[in-house]
Amino acid sequence: MKAEGPLPYRDAKPVGAADFYFVIQATFAFVQARLGEDGLRRYWAAHGREYMRPVWERWRDGGLPAVATYWRAFFAAEPGADVEVREEEGRVVLEVKRCPALAHLKAHRREILPVFCQHCYFVSDAAAERAGLAARVCGGDGACVQTFLPRADAPPQDLARIATVSATEDGEGAAR
Amino acid sequence: MIGVYDFCGHYDWTFAWLLRCEGGGPALLRDYWEQAISRDSQRHARDLIAAGGFDGMARYWGHTLREEAAGYTATAGADPGTGRRFFRLDMYDCPSRGFLLRNGLEFSPDYCDHCIGWIGPVLADAGFGVDHEHDHGGCCWWEIREADDPAAQSAPGETAGADDARLLPDWDAASRHHFARERRAAQQQRKEERQA
Repeated sequence: MKAEGPLPYRDAKPVGAADFYFVIQATFAFVQARLGEDGLRRYWAAHGREYMRPVWERWRDGGLPAVATYWRAFFAAEPGADVEVREEEGRVVLEVKRCPALAHLKAHRREILPVFCQHCYFVSDAAAERAGLAARVCGGDGACVQTFLPRADAPPQDLARIATVSATEDGEGAAR
Repeated sequence: MIGVYDFCGHYDWTFAWLLRCEGGGPALLRDYWEQAISRDSQRHARDLIAAGGFDGMARYWGHTLREEAAGYTATAGADPGTGRRFFRLDMYDCPSRGFLLRNGLEFSPDYCDHCIGWIGPVLADAGFGVDHEHDHGGCCWWEIREADDPAAQSAPGETAGADDARLLPDWDAASRHHFARERRAAQQQRKEERQA
């Protein structure tokens, strides 16, 4: 049974368990190691197209207001997130002031893939494409700006504008 | 962003993707559970159990099952005959499987197998073995002993009393999967003792 609220799935607890960010990072590292960079991008894109189907169906039916509604509810359920979701003329902007995943991984001195932040582009853009939209990402490594807009209006994503993940101050939690 | 609010949903979807992707299949999925989960993401569990043994198990599962809002009981004890310790978990409301059931999700053929897929190697590397059953309905039990402990798995209710998952009204014995502890080490030890 699918949830009636702003998120497609419902859980017994209001906020997710932060240690699952360890699994997400480890999954990216494993897929990259076994299937290469191209395999990792295929994994991310399939996630957006397939797993996020109930999300992009809402975006397709509800347009940009549905995008804003989804991301507000999504980040409210992510532990440690500090994200402002703004509905602007013809676009929705997510100002990620504190990425919950990067914050948790760095706090626990976990190694993080340098391309970790690219997943937000490849996953969200694959989902958005199904709704006639696009996702563009600028920044990263703990803070970024993500913009959702009609696909026809979107410039190409420049991957160089997505930051690679840096080491923590003591040199651990570093990219590999 | 891939988040954690619906983690169990995309974890299950990932299992299915690893089974069918180019270059994928059952071997890749088992490798994922052992390498990515058991040796990488859950290294904190591995470290606690390797260093603290039974006490480390209590600390790890006490933290993680509380964080996941699981319905479970943990039983630590010792065999009255041999004095050898054991640690047991009885799950009557698995938060992970429960998420899938509540939301009608079933991407992979057997989601529950992932737990033995990563916990088994953690325990084996730390010198432990586990008897385990899950019923695919959110109930399971785990009975962990040292690898050279020749004791058989307990009978229902013997070590966990009324908390034993096998005695719960929800326990679906017909759909359970059973994983028997590796006892070769203990059998070999007994054989060597007899020969000596």
